[in-house]
Amino acid sequence: MNRAADQPDLNPLREGISARAVPQPCTIVIFGATGDLTHRKLIPALYNLAADGDLPPAVTIVGFARREKSDSQFRKELENATRKFSRQIVRDDIWKTFGESIFYHRSEFEDEAGYNALAKRLDKIDKESGTRGNRLFYLAAGPDQFESILKHLKAAALNETCKGSWARVIVEKPFGTDLASARELNHVVRNSFTEEQTYRIDHFLGKETAQNILVMRFANAIFAPLWNTHYVDSVQITAAETLGVESRAGFYERAGALRDMVQNHLLQLLCLVAMEPPTDLSADSIRDEKVKVIRSLRRLSRNEVAANIVRGQYTEGAIHGDPVVGYREEQNVKPDSQTETFVALRLFIDNWRWADVPIYMRVGKRLPKSATDISVHFKKAPAVLFNRGMTDQNVLVIRIQPDEGISLRIHAKVPGASFRIEPVKMDFHYGTSFGKASPEAYERLLLDAMSGDATLFARRDEVEEAWAFIDPIEEAWHAKKDAPGLFFYPAGSWGPEEADDLLARHGRAWRRL
Amino acid sequence: MPAVPETYSLGLPVELGKIDKELKKLWAQSEGAMTRATLVNLAVYNEEPGSLEKNTQLIARITENHACRAIVIGADCQAHEGRVEAWISAHCHVSGAGTKQICSEQISFRLEGPCTKLLPSIVFSHLDSDLPFYLWWQSEFREPMDPQLWAWVDRLIYDSQTWKDFSAQMRLVECAQQEAKQRIVLCDLNWTRLDKIRLALAQFFDHPASHHRFAKIDKLRIDFAPGFRSAALLFAGWLGAQLNWRADKAKSSHELRFVSPSARKIDIELRERDGQPVHEVALTTGDIEFRVTHAKSGDLLEVSRTKTGERRVPQLMPAGKSDPVSLMSEELMRGGLHHVYLHAVNSVRELL
Repeated sequence: MNRAADQPDLNPLREGISARAVPQPCTIVIFGATGDLTHRKLIPALYNLAADGDLPPAVTIVGFARREKSDSQFRKELENATRKFSRQIVRDDIWKTFGESIFYHRSEFEDEAGYNALAKRLDKIDKESGTRGNRLFYLAAGPDQFESILKHLKAAALNETCKGSWARVIVEKPFGTDLASARELNHVVRNSFTEEQTYRIDHFLGKETAQNILVMRFANAIFAPLWNTHYVDSVQITAAETLGVESRAGFYERAGALRDMVQNHLLQLLCLVAMEPPTDLSADSIRDEKVKVIRSLRRLSRNEVAANIVRGQYTEGAIHGDPVVGYREEQNVKPDSQTETFVALRLFIDNWRWADVPIYMRVGKRLPKSATDISVHFKKAPAVLFNRGMTDQNVLVIRIQPDEGISLRIHAKVPGASFRIEPVKMDFHYGTSFGKASPEAYERLLLDAMSGDATLFARRDEVEEAWAFIDPIEEAWHAKKDAPGLFFYPAGSWGPEEADDLLARHGRAWRRL
Repeated sequence: MPAVPETYSLGLPVELGKIDKELKKLWAQSEGAMTRATLVNLAVYNEEPGSLEKNTQLIARITENHACRAIVIGADCQAHEGRVEAWISAHCHVSGAGTKQICSEQISFRLEGPCTKLLPSIVFSHLDSDLPFYLWWQSEFREPMDPQLWAWVDRLIYDSQTWKDFSAQMRLVECAQQEAKQRIVLCDLNWTRLDKIRLALAQFFDHPASHHRFAKIDKLRIDFAPGFRSAALLFAGWLGAQLNWRADKAKSSHELRFVSPSARKIDIELRERDGQPVHEVALTTGDIEFRVTHAKSGDLLEVSRTKTGERRVPQLMPAGKSDPVSLMSEELMRGGLHHVYLHAVNSVRELL
């Protein structure tokens, strides 16, 4: 008897075909179905999954929103959006079948009757399509709507499942705006769905290179002995964008770079770099180790915030040679706005592995180029033999986007009679080595949610611990007395000079991107 | 590498002893405008006249997605005198990420005379170090199987659809695997050909609630194209092996029978008709029929389940392609150990 057939819950016909958890037939209900996220990301991602044959049979999509429209109008809108935003060309024959599985359900988010009607409609779909009572609720609406949606889902018993089926909810960020609101949101979610049913999405974790950090660290023995305070001098994480606030000024004015990027994306990347090896690859084993990293982050007192964190805001300048306005001149931004569009941080993880290794992070808008990467700077070799007067370090760079890959800077002898040493780069590019295009982050994450794999989703304690770290910084910035200043930088530069000083005073510099 | 434009010529003729030197020279001429990429050593062996040019075309397309060092060998084993000629070339394409040219290099050999004896020395001396070695054997295997060669092979790729005598060929392949102390992964493109259709059928049974239907399967029909009976049998063998069926006495060459662990009889009908290699599969379990058929467009599979009183919900899935480039690309991308293939072969070995 073969191995798969020995285990009653496994499909023996899947053996050898797919190494990943298998997604199950379900109905995906998207709240906020007429919004940008649905059009730009979710439906194109689901279409691509269908076109690649990765979507389970009978997956049905129900869009839930306020505006009046028919199924066919909704399908047409989504088709147009998918043709525009899909990573692969939309085929008429595939869209025809895929489109037929999309329905529109009009209702106010606060209307109880709308949810009762939704429940009946989902039951009907189950019977007709074989979705077996499995439901995936995607909260793509504004966070102010979450509470109402979740309460009504519970009231309509849509959070409950019968034997053998499941109900899950995907919550889009922001997961609160501080610890108190995150706790409140988690409380609201928990009132309707258990933690096991809850999937907090951070699309950074769906990126191929973010996942590859774990592979690189734990599938290659050469890095393990070096990955600690004895050999690592410092770590830098940069998330730079050339874009300004675009149409997000309303949100951004309230959030700023720290809440928008550091609390979630950058801390998640840091966790992957700094975590201990998990005991296994289950979602909770990995998340247990990640949350320990956040818990170990040294909390900063109000005085320490000014010394270790620099916040900045862009003024007018130029991006790729084109003049751009300053942040305060952007539409819907207050002319005296104190919102940071740039933040640089010097952090420490107070645990055995990372003691005294500074972690430098910077994130900003209107920087000279868009790039996200992590660099591990190793300690210098002893200043003897070839190394007298040498300032360069070995640097391992993990490029998250664009041009995903890994490079290692080492030293080599320049050919010739003298011993001249120069740095050289060993470079691995995903695009060069693997011709296959990586799936979009949302494709991977939606598939994982349908499969019940929460590894790449943030757990409640991760989110709350991250806010517990961020809150004192925000409080220091907004203190009435002695608040650290906001520094300005021209658009198209690498941030305020003070961010460079953060490293320079310890004899370091930001890596040149 | 400007000296070798992207055509399907064999490239620059080179002396055997100077291959590495000439390759280095070509890369030096590119002055960094091109990036050499390689993930595996892929050697291709064929004894048909004209195979070198044909395989060069295939390699050009395969390397668009799978960077490798290709070693293409055309052999004329009937020639009386021993002779070896060699060429070097590169297959370049612009990477998806930007404007940089990504190139895979190809070394081509024409062997005349007692070829297989020369094979190990030719292949071994031109492998890119520390990378896996895949050998794509496009001819019939013949004795003696050189143990030296097989000891180095990581994956042996072949297409059993072209074999005249499956049992004899499989015996030789298994002999090669034994020589390599079971290290070689056997990759049959005839099996790869079934990947998508297997996936399409498998997904019907993903939900544990549907597993009870395995025990109710009583009929299977497989429509296959002329020349692809072995693919159809492998498909039946796969179901048999995975569901623990035992092959029973065949009623005829087109009517087979398996017996389930609960002694239930499963009738298998093999229908030859024009179309895709395995054009349609219909599996009956109780009152439900699961059907996977090629859609009119050819590159999609239409997947459906039919039950009395239920709305038929057809679904489209990629069908994959059956040409050598697509099959090789699929094989190179998936990797894995292919134990299931060996189970499938064993399940229908007597029938193949």
